[in-house]
Amino acid sequence: MEIEHIIQKLWPRVRKKHFYPQLPLPVVIEGGEDCALEIKSKQLSISSAFYDKLKEDMDGEEIVEAVLDHGITHYMYCPWDFHTHLTLYNEAKKVVRQKDQAHRAATYFMDVVTDTYCVKEKDTNIATLYKNLPKTGVHEVLTALYEKIWGEDLGSGGHEELVNRLSRIPYLDRKSWKKSIKKFTEVIQHILEEEWNDEQMSSHRKPNPMGEHSLENYSLEEIDQGLREFAGAVGDLQEFKETVEDLKEELEEKGYGAGGMGRGKGNPLDANLLYYMKLAESYTLPIRKLPIEKRGYLHPHAHRPWEIGKPFADIDVWTSFGKIIPGITQIWTKREGETHGEYEGIPDCLIIIDSSGSMINPRERLSHAVLGAVCACNAYLKHESRAAVYNFSDALRGNKVVLEFSHDKEQIYQAICRYFGGGTALDLDDITSLLANADNPDIFIITDMQITNLEKLIDFFQRIDNRVTAVHLGHNVHTTRFKDGMAKKKNISLFNVKNKEDIPKIILGKVKEYLNSPAEWR
Amino acid sequence: MKNGHYQARIRAIYNFISDNLYLNRPDIEIKGEQFNSTLLFGLLTGLNRGKALIIGEPGLGKTTSAEYVGSILYRYPLGIVWGSEVSGHPEQTEEKIIGRPHLGELNKGKEKVVWSDFAQIPVKIVDEINRLPETKQSMILNGVDRGNWEYLNEILINDEYSLFATANYQDRGTNTIIAPLIDRFDCLIESRHPGSNIAYTIGKEALVHHPLRHPQYEKELHQILRGDKPYEEKMTLAEGVCDLFGEYLKEQLGLEGLNKEERTHINEEMLGLNFDIDTNAFVRMMLAELSFCHKYGQKRSVETCEDGCHYSGYLCHHIKNCASNRLPMSMRKYAQSLAWFLEDDGVDLEHIRLIIPYTLAHRIQWKDSYLSKKEGEGRNDPFQIYLVKAAAEEAFQRYNEQREYLLEALSVGYRAFAGEEVTPLEGDHPIYEEIKKDIGGKDEKSL
Amino acid sequence: MKNPFEAFHHTGARKREIPLDTILKSKEETLSKILTGYEDLLKNEAKDLVWLMQYSTVIKAYSIAEKGIEGLEYTAEDIEEFCYALDHSDQIPYLITGPAGIYISALCNHAQEQEICLHLRDLTVKINLLGYRLPTDKKLMVQGNVGDFTGIGLDGGELIIEGSGKNYTGAGMKRGKIVVRHNLGFNTGHGMTGGELMVGGRIKGLGKIVGGKLYERDQLIFPNEGIKPFYV
Repeated sequence: MEIEHIIQKLWPRVRKKHFYPQLPLPVVIEGGEDCALEIKSKQLSISSAFYDKLKEDMDGEEIVEAVLDHGITHYMYCPWDFHTHLTLYNEAKKVVRQKDQAHRAATYFMDVVTDTYCVKEKDTNIATLYKNLPKTGVHEVLTALYEKIWGEDLGSGGHEELVNRLSRIPYLDRKSWKKSIKKFTEVIQHILEEEWNDEQMSSHRKPNPMGEHSLENYSLEEIDQGLREFAGAVGDLQEFKETVEDLKEELEEKGYGAGGMGRGKGNPLDANLLYYMKLAESYTLPIRKLPIEKRGYLHPHAHRPWEIGKPFADIDVWTSFGKIIPGITQIWTKREGETHGEYEGIPDCLIIIDSSGSMINPRERLSHAVLGAVCACNAYLKHESRAAVYNFSDALRGNKVVLEFSHDKEQIYQAICRYFGGGTALDLDDITSLLANADNPDIFIITDMQITNLEKLIDFFQRIDNRVTAVHLGHNVHTTRFKDGMAKKKNISLFNVKNKEDIPKIILGKVKEYLNSPAEWR
Repeated sequence: MKNGHYQARIRAIYNFISDNLYLNRPDIEIKGEQFNSTLLFGLLTGLNRGKALIIGEPGLGKTTSAEYVGSILYRYPLGIVWGSEVSGHPEQTEEKIIGRPHLGELNKGKEKVVWSDFAQIPVKIVDEINRLPETKQSMILNGVDRGNWEYLNEILINDEYSLFATANYQDRGTNTIIAPLIDRFDCLIESRHPGSNIAYTIGKEALVHHPLRHPQYEKELHQILRGDKPYEEKMTLAEGVCDLFGEYLKEQLGLEGLNKEERTHINEEMLGLNFDIDTNAFVRMMLAELSFCHKYGQKRSVETCEDGCHYSGYLCHHIKNCASNRLPMSMRKYAQSLAWFLEDDGVDLEHIRLIIPYTLAHRIQWKDSYLSKKEGEGRNDPFQIYLVKAAAEEAFQRYNEQREYLLEALSVGYRAFAGEEVTPLEGDHPIYEEIKKDIGGKDEKSL
Repeated sequence: MKNPFEAFHHTGARKREIPLDTILKSKEETLSKILTGYEDLLKNEAKDLVWLMQYSTVIKAYSIAEKGIEGLEYTAEDIEEFCYALDHSDQIPYLITGPAGIYISALCNHAQEQEICLHLRDLTVKINLLGYRLPTDKKLMVQGNVGDFTGIGLDGGELIIEGSGKNYTGAGMKRGKIVVRHNLGFNTGHGMTGGELMVGGRIKGLGKIVGGKLYERDQLIFPNEGIKPFYV
């Protein structure tokens, strides 16, 4: 096939032009004549129907090279990774408020960035390609924009006001992309709406001639990483949630569920859990390495030359060849053996988290208390210990979640993120029952201490020997009472947190301390 | 450079080992071709007189791959290679590794050294190097560093040599290879499991005798090596036997090994391959990220990088130690070897991007916080190599974005260094500060 | 010592400039000049970072602003860029909304375009004194919310706010038209002598209106039986 032959011929040159992207050789597909390119899992596919149609107006090699330039630059420059893609989509959505339109705005923006980059930085025929592409709807405006910002005659024109505004956007300044896409979307918003309305009425969607951008471009690892970076960057639970909800279907189709580590089909995606899961991945502790231990006995370690005056007992007769001569005779130096030991075992952990009305609802806003709790759980689960959760509001009235010790991350997250918003009272029988099912687990309690049965809690903690980390928010008469009550207990560490953002770090600090001194907990 | 002749022979060696001796799966791709990293880097190490550290699970062919490569490239029968190997255990001695006194002469009161095969032959294999005590590791690496072996006031100097050391992952009974020693290795490669289907076929066709063995030549070589002649004479005689073994390989297996002259010639060809502008600039950029510290002048493992530094988006923020000067030497050596092997005219970005993870992985000490963030990520490589691959890709993206500006900055650097009155270009990346330092400017970003 | 940059001797910058680069450069230069004018205004009018909203200070500030922008060539988009630059404290040393609003009004009044549209929805700060002395041949549309004293002294132009305003909107307007799509605050139309002020939402409170017409949700509320003109 002619086009395949052209691809084979051009590919080494195009790769070199773009500094050797790690992409496989592009393939040819039947495709539609309106869409030049498909990108799925890094495989570029050129539509033969598109090629045949355009060949009447352009040289075959020029068509293929221009399409490849476009596809490769999407991979190498914009969006480059899933985090960038999500960010652009998120910003566009703030303007248009409609999922499909936001998706389209992001696609068009990425196309403008990509093509402008190619035209400026590489030798490319993309301009000629656009000259020969149909110009309708948004593409008419974008082609007019390209005419202005590239200085090429593309047979378009018009839309002066829109183009004037669009041409002032710094497309090649990556740091400004967040602002730029909002401006871009604002300008073309009405065209996007018209396009969308037309499509709703005709039930027919015009494809983007230069290909669509979907989650199919990314591997599960890239999606994982992108979500983690997005959770950290976005700073607002609702924004993250909205974006993930919009992409829920595609993520689930791809096999990205909330089960386990956020992978695997079957479990529907819970955006709230995913948010805390991804944020918690930024607060991690390294896996404890095998400790170096002394074996407790001496063993011959190395030879050194024997000197007159050194003892004879350690002479190695064999390496000395039976001779007692300085320079020949070798003596053993002995050393206490060291070896990699075993883990002494990490205890399980019990999280006691307050979800009364005075605490933040973790499904509405970022709750650092919940984040701290999930960070602690992650650390213990990573070391193959179990975690249990006691989530309480007015426990005596049934507003509680009691999750037994388990390795099931999703269940644990669900339990921690549950919010009741009622009163504050613990049922100590529940805690006693949980503690009975594990061998001296570490306890983390996060609360503002405005607990109605605080005295009972104080009594309880005075009786137990588990390592306890209590993080309380704010300062009040209850926290003072708790502090006084725990004053003599060395196994209890109390932290009064002024900035909620410090909670995860405080908890992780204690976890690290506990994990590094496992012998103490027995 | 379309010489082709030597490259064709090396490819034949690669294909023979891959098809018959070290069954494997390709795991890297370059210029449209797929290779197995262990075998490819093994061959490159043999050709460029490098030092490779091969890691992997027990029984996955770490040592055997090195043995086959060494045997064919240097035309030493396998039995000699086996006999010369140093195996790592705590009770290894200098006498077994380097040489011992001649007992007969010793009884006559004379000092005469019987050099070990390991010290004499150019193929040096240390099996499970991390089981050796650190003093013995030092001894081997210092010897291979310069090719000098000393014992009892006698010295033996190797003209050419390659070192292959193997190591299992950390378990009971292993020591660590300390940083100054591990830095001496040019590259780190993993010998991987070939997959269940290929693994099933290993050993299925039992060989009556190993194709790389030749008892007669092994005996002759053994006699030469343990003989009394001066080292240079022994090597000349050994080369003669190697020529015969080479002919045997050609007749029986269709393989052509390399004689000493040819190996030297290949090295010269490799050294003649230049880096293109982009590769040159990219390597400088990476080295800047691996050695720079805005606050303390350079990266040091005893100094901690603080949060809030202007450069926290670069590799210098994620690592503890500074890149040594052996790193660019290893990168250059292997990139040139790879470009030569692929018959390319020079070294380009594709070569260097393939090489970097393997030459850097064992040299970097990552911060715990970075390790813990990354260790859960899915990957196809051992963690050390994966980290560097990911980091190198990020660095490459930065290069891609600011390529034109960086090249201009380096060009201005040339002019400034030559004495012209020009203002160095400013930029976010550490490389711009490094350029300024080289031309005498100061880093004015506030601490 | 050998020049370590030897390999880059012949590397000239292969700078391909496209019109986008020129547009962006020109935009930066224009913004820089506009910022300089604004800083001059602040130096003269708000030395201690304090500016009192008074009849005389407004007039004086406006004339300084006019001098500052004399000879500048700019477009409506440049004015919008300046508004966003006000929002980022790293670009402007200090934001004082009074002088800023006057300066922007001067920019709008002297712009080449007859119709100016400022898209200010994403602005976190609400600018006061927008539309000050908007002349007869001008139409200013603002997408977003505005601050106090919007459209004061309107002199024949048309000011459309696609959002809400705050207090003293239309104060002292002489002629022209102000349309506010949503709500307004207190002292609306205070001292207005002519023109039309149309509010699509609610007005919290009226000022002492002398003349003109005031509509709230299409209902004429001044002049009407319930509210008499205020005579000094």
